[in-house]
Amino acid sequence: MARIKIENVRKTFGKVRALDGVTIDVKDKEFFVLFGPAGAGKTTILNCIAGISMPEEGMISFDDNIMNLTDPAHRNVAMVFENYALYPQMTVYDNMASALRSKLYKTDEAEIKKRIEWAAGVMKMDNLLERLPGQLSNGQKQRVAMGRALVREPNVFLMDEPLAHLDAKLRNSMRTELKEMQENLGSTCIYVTHDFMEAMALGDRIAIINKGKIVQIGTGDEIYYMPCNEFTAQLMGEPEINIFTARPLVGSNKYILDFDVNGERISVDLPYDEGVYSKLHDLRLENVDCGIRPQNVKYSFEPKEGYFKTTVYSYESIGNKSVIVAECGGFQLRMIAPNGLNVAIDSEIYIRLEIDHAMFFDAETKDYIIRYDEAGFTAFAASQEEK
Amino acid sequence: MKTGKQKALNILMNFLLLIYAVFALFPLVWMVLISFKSDTEVFTTTFAFHPTLSNYQEVLLRSDYGRYILDSVIVSGGAVLVSIIVGVPAAYALARYSFPRKEELAFQILSYKFAPEILVVLPLFMIYQKIGLYDSYLGLIWVYQLISLPLLIWVVRGYFEDISVEIEYAAQVDGYSWYQIFFKMLVPLIKPGLVSSALLAFIFAWNSFTFPLILSSNKVYPVTVAIMKYLGTDSAHYGQLAVASTVSALPAVIFALCIQKHLVRGLSFGAVKG
Amino acid sequence: MAGLTLEHLYKRYDNSGKKKKIKNDFAVKDLNLVCEHGEFIALLGPSGCGKTTTLRMIAGLEEITDGKIYIGERLVNDLHPKDRNIGLAFEDYAMYPPLNVYGNVAFNLRAKGVDKETIDKKVRELAPLMQIDDILDKMPVKLSGGQKQRVNIARAIIREPELLLMDEPLSHLDGKARQAMRVEIKRLINKIKCTTVYVTHDQLEAMSLADKIAIINFGVLQQFGTPTEVYDDPANEFVASFIGEPPMNIMTTTIINKDGTFFFTFDGSNLQIAVPKRYYSVVSDGFRCRMGVRPMDVMIGGADSKGTPEEIATFENLGDERRIGIRVGDVLMMLITEDEKRYKRGDIIKLEVRGEKTHLFDIETGDRIREKA
Repeated sequence: MARIKIENVRKTFGKVRALDGVTIDVKDKEFFVLFGPAGAGKTTILNCIAGISMPEEGMISFDDNIMNLTDPAHRNVAMVFENYALYPQMTVYDNMASALRSKLYKTDEAEIKKRIEWAAGVMKMDNLLERLPGQLSNGQKQRVAMGRALVREPNVFLMDEPLAHLDAKLRNSMRTELKEMQENLGSTCIYVTHDFMEAMALGDRIAIINKGKIVQIGTGDEIYYMPCNEFTAQLMGEPEINIFTARPLVGSNKYILDFDVNGERISVDLPYDEGVYSKLHDLRLENVDCGIRPQNVKYSFEPKEGYFKTTVYSYESIGNKSVIVAECGGFQLRMIAPNGLNVAIDSEIYIRLEIDHAMFFDAETKDYIIRYDEAGFTAFAASQEEK
Repeated sequence: MKTGKQKALNILMNFLLLIYAVFALFPLVWMVLISFKSDTEVFTTTFAFHPTLSNYQEVLLRSDYGRYILDSVIVSGGAVLVSIIVGVPAAYALARYSFPRKEELAFQILSYKFAPEILVVLPLFMIYQKIGLYDSYLGLIWVYQLISLPLLIWVVRGYFEDISVEIEYAAQVDGYSWYQIFFKMLVPLIKPGLVSSALLAFIFAWNSFTFPLILSSNKVYPVTVAIMKYLGTDSAHYGQLAVASTVSALPAVIFALCIQKHLVRGLSFGAVKG
Repeated sequence: MAGLTLEHLYKRYDNSGKKKKIKNDFAVKDLNLVCEHGEFIALLGPSGCGKTTTLRMIAGLEEITDGKIYIGERLVNDLHPKDRNIGLAFEDYAMYPPLNVYGNVAFNLRAKGVDKETIDKKVRELAPLMQIDDILDKMPVKLSGGQKQRVNIARAIIREPELLLMDEPLSHLDGKARQAMRVEIKRLINKIKCTTVYVTHDQLEAMSLADKIAIINFGVLQQFGTPTEVYDDPANEFVASFIGEPPMNIMTTTIINKDGTFFFTFDGSNLQIAVPKRYYSVVSDGFRCRMGVRPMDVMIGGADSKGTPEEIATFENLGDERRIGIRVGDVLMMLITEDEKRYKRGDIIKLEVRGEKTHLFDIETGDRIREKA
């Protein structure tokens, strides 16, 4: 159990800057997720905490003890590797016992046995203990790797994409199981993933990382509802958020959002919201990027008041629901629909945007400006954090 | 459901293999046969002869053959041992660390095997005489590194490369020191490659002829050179020669048979990546 | 008109050479399928289920043990692959490396001796459709995964085949590229209207692309129907659990009779769900079977709900939706909600299940138990 602090860490590999001034403060017993695309530097951060990689600059401390010069063995961290890194010549039991049999963390065999049995029970792998790693499926290897970490009482658990190599179904069910056993960890955990569902579901807080820099840190709700830029907004959500450029025009005591769909000019009244109106007034931007999540785009196959016409680009299932993509000339709009509709490609569809759920970004810098009911969502996210 | 065509094909293939087996084994069998013949019968080509053990008595009991075998064991075994001590760390370094001109270095090690022995043996002869390594165990063990070291390094390097580096990280995080990791985790994993390449290197060293012929004389006398003794200046005792050859070939044959499966898998496993 | 017909198709593996005889040595067993002209069919199943073997038999790359294959009206059992008029796009791209994209696409026509102008015309027509017009001069090694796959498909359809066969063409692509390519394939096939058989192990791919899905397990056809049919009306437990993400909740249940009303009960749980009236003809007190219900059809009841109060085992906030897990015996029963309310582990909610969306399966065979009409 420890509070993990990383301050201004830099790391380069050859000419590639892997980490560019990363600062994170992970609270004791917090489940902290590092989330970002491949190659963002997430694993490098974990390796620096574990001591496997040496940062060129910056400080790493556990409970205010500076760890930069401590070797990995003495940091007392437990790590789950992306490729599991099980010792191929040892049985599952011996793999799990490995740390407790080392000179540093020497534990007597009876205690080892007790802990392994407990961890095997939590990970539902009691029947695997005598097997060799080569005889396990990926899902089982993943459990073993997790179990090997679980038997210890480390300062921090470091988990590097432990579910990445599993197929979609298994990944989802393992994520749910991981959520169920989260309380059993009893220690700080730093979890790396590129899957937004894992990040949302598991993280007490999430740090979004891109190109070696921290983009945003916050709870899942904060980042989902108030992403700090378009990059983050696009990472959070499946299907991806719709973002298109529009012109905010001043009408008679209201703002009108003006954009082109297949060469036709569409105008949408912006309902009054104090935050949105004052930001638009202050910034006087010629263009804004409007972000609207797929569940806030409504469709109809018949012409309807307040709906604009466009064509269907694709319709496909994403599991328990489907996505219709509409071609709007220059951009596409994704929207949620139930499974099993009879939707022909290139047929006509009518769309309405629930603009009172929109968020706005600067069309130049792509940074977040404001969203509808920002105050409400801020309060909501804060109330969740207290829980 | 096998068709007649498949059956015929099967028979034909077995037949061809049989021919090859006879072809391949013939010299060996012939040599063993000669070893049981008396000098007078050596040149008869029929299989009918009066088997005798006199050649064996002569070679094994009444000559220094035992000493020659011992020399071969010391020199070949010593060479392999040195290769393991030097080669395993070298292979680890080549597999794990990146340093300038790494690939060139690896290639240079391999290139030791390219040069024909006869090309280097003359200058070595002069040097050895000067520095006193001529006709010594150390001298031969040293020069045998040209034979055994490249093989060992290249095979074992492949094995190290196949072990994901995360396994070492995992062991570090588990609280082990580097030496513990090396001996507890890594050595067991490279064992198949290490054993097979070491045995093959041993066989190559054992069979080496040019180096001991020129770089040693009386004090160190490996069997390959010693066999020549039975070719006297005036008379050739082919029977005794055959005994000496048969016995000296035994270790190689026994090793090869024992570790056949292991050897092929052990070598090709690393070679794929190497 | 049928585009492809499979009649009593069998594939048996030759076990005679092996020491250990495998008991079930049929890779494909009594497979019957009729695919209408212009239809897009997916062969879906876990790895090793016989779907690729089926495809290879249709292509003529694998001998058939028994049965008949018709392409259009032609019986093609004894025809050489090149005479079957099919286009193939396989998992590995297998392009001719010394030829550029144009050469690769044109290769087949050149081999057939089609004259140069016709080839050129065809390639130039097809290229924009496949979005490869800007890469015609590139060599295969310089292409991205998605581009290679487009060239691969272009190569298969340039000869205007009667039947297009695709074997996991997207399995080399990851994440977003895969999704994008999926949409492109769908749009393309929609344009050229070619009868297509598509092999995949990914149920999402099958659900998104196909007009009809043939679900295969252990060489045996489990169900053949439209995506909606296999999703809403699965033939057995295998299909029910294979289609849909997250998968259907399927639990062993004992039905009890309380004052003339039947309820589903579960070992190790106090959960009770009213059995829909339509099943009354097939159930009885003490009847044991498997009960399946999709996570979308389990709901959180309001304050006045009559649902069973249950403790939340897992709560996952996924942004767009929230997933809640409830322990029912040793099964984690999932439900999905778009409700904004946040819960935490240990909270009590009242569970309601859409009775009309429940499915019953036989414990032994896994077959659907249907209400009597």
